[in-house]
Amino acid sequence: MQYMLLIYEDETAYGDEHDSPAVMEIIQRHMAFGEELGAQRKGGAGLMPTGMATTVVTRSGNQTIHDGPFAETREQLGGFYIIDAPDLDAAIAIAKKLPVYADGSVEIRPLLGGTD
Amino acid sequence: MTKALDRAARDHGARVRAALAARFRDLDIAEEAFAEACARAVTAWAGETPRDPVAWLYRVADRAALDMVRRRAVRSGATLPDPEPPPSPEEELMADTRLIPDERLKLIFVCCHPAIHPEARAALTLKLVCGLSTPEIARAFLLPEPTLAQRLVRAKNKIAGAGAPFEVPGPDAWPDRLDAVLSTIEIAYAKAHEDGGGSGRHAGYALEMLGITATLAALVPSEPEVLALAATVRFAEARRPARVDAGGMMVPLDRQDPMTWDKALIAEARPYLARALSAGPPGRRTLHALIHAEWCARSSLDAPAPWRSVLVLYDALMALRDDAITRLNRAVALAEIAGPETALEEVDALDAPGLADFLPYHAVRADLLVKLGLTDAAMEAYDAALKLGPERAERLWLEGKRAGL
Repeated sequence: MQYMLLIYEDETAYGDEHDSPAVMEIIQRHMAFGEELGAQRKGGAGLMPTGMATTVVTRSGNQTIHDGPFAETREQLGGFYIIDAPDLDAAIAIAKKLPVYADGSVEIRPLLGGTD
Repeated sequence: MTKALDRAARDHGARVRAALAARFRDLDIAEEAFAEACARAVTAWAGETPRDPVAWLYRVADRAALDMVRRRAVRSGATLPDPEPPPSPEEELMADTRLIPDERLKLIFVCCHPAIHPEARAALTLKLVCGLSTPEIARAFLLPEPTLAQRLVRAKNKIAGAGAPFEVPGPDAWPDRLDAVLSTIEIAYAKAHEDGGGSGRHAGYALEMLGITATLAALVPSEPEVLALAATVRFAEARRPARVDAGGMMVPLDRQDPMTWDKALIAEARPYLARALSAGPPGRRTLHALIHAEWCARSSLDAPAPWRSVLVLYDALMALRDDAITRLNRAVALAEIAGPETALEEVDALDAPGLADFLPYHAVRADLLVKLGLTDAAMEAYDAALKLGPERAERLWLEGKRAGL
């Protein structure tokens, strides 16, 4: 099956600089993690901070544009992987190894049509 | 005839459902196919009960499941698999209960998967492993039947959709996953235990808990926490006859007459506990079982209550898991050894979210305040407890205490 691993972390932990020591460290760890995943990694990317986010909201057919992410939360979506794993337990095992800088959450979502 | 069917479904239903679920990798199909086989048995067994009722049920359910798989395939436009040939006489002869693979452990693990909401896990286990009906489970969880039915559907969909494997987890995941299984059984048992009288909406339900813990202990005989839980459920059930008096009022543990406890169940519990203890340093559930064992060793109401050893065991428990509920339970024993003032200090120092909505917190505080002669404060604490809507037996007890002030 294919799963998306959505990484939620407090983005302020990385500081304002895009080359802060925290950022450099997590990049190293993600590279090592990606290597370990090998062919199981089907895709993924890191995201710019939520300060860069814009949201298009549709309500009753009306569309409005908002500055900021879909929801203001303590931890923000910062990146994702798409992986190939035989089942949920295997996906959980991978999600547990996924590097987070300090506290964080990884949401595991099966992809629609990702069963073959 | 229906008796034979009832017995076969009750004693072996879990095994048949588990074997079907393992074969078809689908809890819905396993459940529906088994129900279908039982429905067919009602007429098919009217003349004569088959030689091996369980094998009959498995075979018929297996064919019903194949039909369902085929119908689903047709609906989704897939090519049809070849139909199964009808069973040959040799196969008929071969069919035997011993040939049905025992997949119950896999069934238990998938029902108790940590990716499922804990209460839904308990409901799903009661449904598929214990064979309770949706109305029975809804009553136990105090939920409207449609709500519970919806939760069960959602849980089954999650298992299928998220790809939860129908497997016994590997060694790495074993500790976490086993804990999820045991917690699920604890939640399910707590529902049965809340009902002190045991004659009402939980009649029979507690028996299922004896069954599932015995099954689990047989399937995983070397895990001390599994054995300990089997012991605890037995010790607790043994005291059921004494938990409510003739007027339907709750009787607290230290006032229960040990003569009315179920000696046979206590005797059944002890070897489980002994095996748990011999397996290594006691874990949380083994300590719980030991506390029950201390109480169940009391011979009569004249014998002293085992407060001192209970306190020692709660101290050991706190070293493993220091939480508000453990502290609260410990305070009850502490009051008997160190006095109500020390115990009240402990209880008042508790700070946990949801404590105000936790009935035992107010009940324990009220008792301590009574012992200290603080009548007004005790009155308030009893009111707070009663406001949380206890079951009848406990309500009568609390009302009685309050009226006695």
